Amino acid sequence: MRKLLPILLVTLLLPAIVFARTPPDVLVVGQIAEPKSLDPHAVTALNDFRILVNLYDGLVRYREGTLEIAPALAERWEISPDGTRYRFFLRQGVRFHDGTPLNAVAVKFNFERMLDEAHPYHDTGPFPLAFFFSAVEEVRVIDPLTVEFQLEQPYAPFLSNLAYPTGLMVSPAAVRKHGKAYGRHPAGTGAFRFAEWQANAKVVLLRNPDYWDGAPPLEAVIFRPVSDPNTRMAELLSGGIDLMLEVPPDSLQPLREDSAYRVHEQAGPHLWYLILNTREGPFSDSRVRQAANYAINKRGLVENILQGSAEVAAGPIAPAFAWAHNPEVTPYPYDPEQARALLREAGYDGSPVTLYVTEGGSGMLDPVIMGTAIQADLQAVGMPVKIETYEWNTYLGRVNPGLAGKADMAEMAWMTNDPDTLPFLTLHSQALPSEGGFNSGYYSNPQLDALLDRARRSTDSGERAELYHQVQALVHQEAPWVFVAHWKQNAVTAARVQGFRLQPSFFLMLQRVSKP
Amino acid sequence: MTAYLIKRLLALIPVLFGVSLIVFLMMALIPGDPASAILGAYATPENVARLNRELGLDRSLPEQYLVWLGNLLEGDLGRSYSLNRPVLAEVGERFSATLVLAGSALLLCSLLGLLAGLVSAVRQYGWADRVITLLVLVGISTPSFWLGLLLILLFAVKLPLFPASGMYAIYGGGDLWDLLHHLFLPALTLSLVAAGVIARLTRTAMLEVLRQDFIRTARAKGLSERRVVYRHAFRAALVSVIPVIGIQAGFVLGGAVYIETVFQWPGIGSMLVQAIASRDLLLVQGGVLLVTVSYVLFNLLADLLQSLIDPRLR
Amino acid sequence: MGRERDDGSRPGAWRLLLNNHLAVSGLLLLLLIGLLALAAPWLPLPDPDATAPVDRLLPPLTPGYPLGTDALGRDLLSRLVWGTRVSLAMGISATLVAALVGSLVGLVAGFAGGRSDGLLMRGIDMLMAFPYILLALAIVAVLGPGLVNALYAIALVNIPFFARNVRGVTLGLARQPFIDAARLSGQSRSRILLLEVLPNVLPVIVITISTTLGWMILETAGLSFLGLGAQPPQADLGSMLGEGRKLLFTTPHVSVIPGLMIFILVMGINLLGDGVRDLLDPRLKSGALSRPLPRTRVERAQTPTLQEEPTSLLEVRDLHTGFSIGRQRYHAVHGVDLDLASGQTLGIVGESGCGKSVAVMSITGLVASPPGSITDGAVWLQGVELLGAPLARLQALRGGAVCHVFQDPLASLHPLYRVGDQLVEAIQAHQDVTRRQAWQQAQALLAEVHIANPAQRMRAYPHQLSGGMRQRVCIAMALANRPRLIIADEPTTALDVTVQAQILGLLQRLRQQHQVSILFVSHDFSVVSALCERVLVMYAGRVVESGAIEQVISAPAHPYSALLIGCIPTPGQGPLQTIPGSPPALDRLPEGCAFAPRCPRVQERCTEGEVGMTRLGDGRSVRCLFPLQAGESP
Repeated sequence: MRKLLPILLVTLLLPAIVFARTPPDVLVVGQIAEPKSLDPHAVTALNDFRILVNLYDGLVRYREGTLEIAPALAERWEISPDGTRYRFFLRQGVRFHDGTPLNAVAVKFNFERMLDEAHPYHDTGPFPLAFFFSAVEEVRVIDPLTVEFQLEQPYAPFLSNLAYPTGLMVSPAAVRKHGKAYGRHPAGTGAFRFAEWQANAKVVLLRNPDYWDGAPPLEAVIFRPVSDPNTRMAELLSGGIDLMLEVPPDSLQPLREDSAYRVHEQAGPHLWYLILNTREGPFSDSRVRQAANYAINKRGLVENILQGSAEVAAGPIAPAFAWAHNPEVTPYPYDPEQARALLREAGYDGSPVTLYVTEGGSGMLDPVIMGTAIQADLQAVGMPVKIETYEWNTYLGRVNPGLAGKADMAEMAWMTNDPDTLPFLTLHSQALPSEGGFNSGYYSNPQLDALLDRARRSTDSGERAELYHQVQALVHQEAPWVFVAHWKQNAVTAARVQGFRLQPSFFLMLQRVSKP
Repeated sequence: MTAYLIKRLLALIPVLFGVSLIVFLMMALIPGDPASAILGAYATPENVARLNRELGLDRSLPEQYLVWLGNLLEGDLGRSYSLNRPVLAEVGERFSATLVLAGSALLLCSLLGLLAGLVSAVRQYGWADRVITLLVLVGISTPSFWLGLLLILLFAVKLPLFPASGMYAIYGGGDLWDLLHHLFLPALTLSLVAAGVIARLTRTAMLEVLRQDFIRTARAKGLSERRVVYRHAFRAALVSVIPVIGIQAGFVLGGAVYIETVFQWPGIGSMLVQAIASRDLLLVQGGVLLVTVSYVLFNLLADLLQSLIDPRLR
Repeated sequence: MGRERDDGSRPGAWRLLLNNHLAVSGLLLLLLIGLLALAAPWLPLPDPDATAPVDRLLPPLTPGYPLGTDALGRDLLSRLVWGTRVSLAMGISATLVAALVGSLVGLVAGFAGGRSDGLLMRGIDMLMAFPYILLALAIVAVLGPGLVNALYAIALVNIPFFARNVRGVTLGLARQPFIDAARLSGQSRSRILLLEVLPNVLPVIVITISTTLGWMILETAGLSFLGLGAQPPQADLGSMLGEGRKLLFTTPHVSVIPGLMIFILVMGINLLGDGVRDLLDPRLKSGALSRPLPRTRVERAQTPTLQEEPTSLLEVRDLHTGFSIGRQRYHAVHGVDLDLASGQTLGIVGESGCGKSVAVMSITGLVASPPGSITDGAVWLQGVELLGAPLARLQALRGGAVCHVFQDPLASLHPLYRVGDQLVEAIQAHQDVTRRQAWQQAQALLAEVHIANPAQRMRAYPHQLSGGMRQRVCIAMALANRPRLIIADEPTTALDVTVQAQILGLLQRLRQQHQVSILFVSHDFSVVSALCERVLVMYAGRVVESGAIEQVISAPAHPYSALLIGCIPTPGQGPLQTIPGSPPALDRLPEGCAFAPRCPRVQERCTEGEVGMTRLGDGRSVRCLFPLQAGESP
């Protein structure tokens, strides 16, 4: 044993010299979890989207650095004046990674697989986000490179939804070949093609030299799932990954000061807020709701607890939607005096309120710490808060059916791709839980409903912007929520990674990234 | 022997049956369903209902259980909702990783525990005994997931001797040395608690055995003390230590849930955490069954080992 | 398990615990932590829940924050103290719940046995194999989040510990005679369980509690990420660790501090737990769990020198051997002399506990030590002083020139090795021969002790042989290296009468064939008379009479010898006689003659002052002031 031990140690340590750094032209990305599937129509998680947008293209995409729609597989498009017909003209000569051509028939196949329950390959689903395109009545092949969508009614977010990963185009031939296993044998038109997926270890993509938008500089991209944030950090520090996403804010500061790393930040269409129960209890009074907005020190939360990894929110529409955002609406200031005055005025009796807190979840930032800080702030203006924490899925199971009889406040966060989505799904009076929506706080206001309905039907983006400005002002005033923060997504890259930029869409675009 | 093996394996059936039933009941009790887990923020009742229909979850629970049981008899563990692939394929891929980790942790904790127990029994009240007693106490008093992180910080970041996570090098590697290199930290972390338990037990067992008549006989034969301790006493002490190693298998497998997550080990444990979080009933079911089977198998192995050592049990 | 307390002979439990330094330090640690936790409301600590985001993550030793602050700027020291309070309360209550339920399951399973045992234990198996995250989630789902519910989850997970341990002990107890007796007396099962079984299982429960308490506190940390456990802003050590864990790489103190606290707490519990276990475990109480040294410790004041060249093969002079247990000293042998010439046989007779075995085991240093030690005297074998000889020399003699045959051949043979291997080992320890040669020698030895089919028996394990056969193997092993002296310690006691006679015959024949001396220990005069030429009678650690066997049997001089001889069963002479009373306690020997309290001829002078050996002529001596005359009976 005494002789064996040193030998054992030496042999164990030997590979340490070999493994240290990742090779050039290969980018290793630290992901927060294993992807569920590489079928863009079958997944819902941002984590999976980060791989998919490099593997596939949609008809349209977001313009670099914005949330504006730009051409992708479709070179251009036409919208009928009534807003119900969209005609797309496809790029010529684009081929899927399996060699089959991208044409109008393939586009039609993609949408019908998702939407038509009678489609022979509908069983390769389920397609949880197919409702993004539920407005589509029919997809028509006009000629091999022209395809037309007939909508049941005008639906302004349609183009945004096409730019979402659910609108990415898969190869019909590959779906036919692999059937239910397609999610593990993907074929798209993207800058990288699929090479290998080792369960819970890595997904490897290789350069697509024939990419229609110019072959990417990187030879390969490896996505590694590392679910524990500490471990992910350890991998970054020890050179096991080149690009790390969702770095805990507290770890950013030392990295900022370290020349071996580069920190990237980008605000996006995200909102972290508290749902207030407007049906019963103290928050049925708008003055109490406003008081809560005044009482909570959002700047303190954002600057101290989130370490500047978010911005203070003013209303339901994030500034990242530059065209729809109303710059005149400014956040509720931190004003405990005003809060106390409003509470007095509303005759609030100091009875305790319940706050639902989750342990973690998509876009929830640091929910327990934030909930505790909010609890302390409300306590300070005379509102005792009782916290109940739940694991994320249990949490959704309690919040989504509505807060009545359970809680007065609940933490929530959304990431959306169109200014319509969040208010329409969570504040519209047709979105009450009983109606199948997410209006868990039961806010109901016919004026807001009307604004949202009109914005959804309008095909004129100027008019839409104006309507959303009004939505922002109205919701801010009525305060059905406590508006807390817009998250700034972050990423850290090793210094030798070049050309990387985070997008407001939160998608991870690696087409222009290089690593000499 | 064969009859005994068959009997033991048959006894596994009711346990598995019971476990699967409990898993079903538990998953029914836990709020949240796979459809809302998949849909996340978009889980409107309408969407959930549609997805449930496509997943075959609109049937009653007993019905679902019977369907699952029927499929099981044909060797089909069903299809994972969240991963959209057969449970058998997913579980199969991960089972070997868990076996490697838990198996080597068990091996390591047995080696460490037996060695430490042996030394501290032989050097009772000496400094080696004191140091080992202290180390054992440290081992069983430290939360292992926390210890794992500390080890990563120390031996992967500050002192880059070992990789921080994963089972194989992400680029190149893939051979046995690569595996061992990746295995070392998680297996060590996972084995420390059990090693402490085994060390304590070995020490007691050794001290007890050293009082036995046959040790006196060995000494009366004029054997060297080395031979008395290592050949006569240690082998007899093993008889009472081995069943406990079998029981430790349960704790090692349970601990694997945390350790696999911390070290990103692609095994059943980390899969279970994800599967439970996404309410993936059939995946949980498959995972739990395999964990149960491995627990029983490790115990069976311990029993076989014991009968190998102790002729009275044959 | 000790049903009656024998406090006189053992140091008090409390003192034993205090003697254990580690346990005391554990106890002190726990007391300190416990007091700190209890005193939390009165300590000058800031509000543990007061947040100050601007002052977040301050390092330890910052003015105003001795241990620094956490992610919300809360004072870590205050949270630590308050958190310890919660964790302790939680750990203790969870342990009690688990102990209650688990022990109940274990008791019922172990006591009922059969099908209900199988059923309950299968259930426990399931619980052990079950991922407890799932259990915990289900509990939150049904009961909601909160400390108390976390307590149930943790208790549930730890039930198997208790159930398994308690079942094991109960299973053993259920077959004990006193339980059968209680059953026969018509007591109800629950009454037996409660009144007879439970008190005996209690130590096991306490031991298990001491080992699991630490675990329970650790496990709350694991549950905190499921939302189970203390609800914000309340602190418990587990959730503090969980919260701080996220910041491990940047501000390690936030998790290291509660981590250390958990560690210290669990350490304290474990240290104390070990002490308690040492106290309650009957095997540990006697101090038996200390490692016996390779030879008996010798603590002689001076090294004796030989006045004249020894003439005998073996000479023992003024041997004193005793045992130290706790603070008591038991004088098992004090002042024994014996001589054994080459080729002679000497018997040592006495009741059990008279020190005869200890005396002969002292010769080659085989008395377990601790607790035994030789405090005075000398042993010469072939002119070599054994007590002072180096270990290697002693080991060369053991099994070489001197060998032993012990009382219980089953216990004396290693249960896990083949008989042949054990013989080969004995041969190879002293002779430089190949294994093949040794194997053949061993086989020949088995033939010599009249074991039929020796080639086949060589491959047998001890448990596969009969009692007589095993003792023959032991004798064969003793003969392996042509010894000069065989020390046989009650070699026939564990055997039935016909086998006894065969073994004695065998020894007799071997003595004649090999010219070997035999030192034969027995409580039975008749057995000794069948083999030995001379005899020593021992009582309370001393030789009380010695002489030629025929003379001692026909005319015992010491009343004790006479009474012992009277105990030899003679066919047709009515019921067996016994000596009334019992030997004196070895740590409190009476003054004067040790046999006086039981002696029918006792006189006042017997209890005053030391009684010396008196020579009677014919090589006979006796330690009695009023020896029996020939023909006289006691």
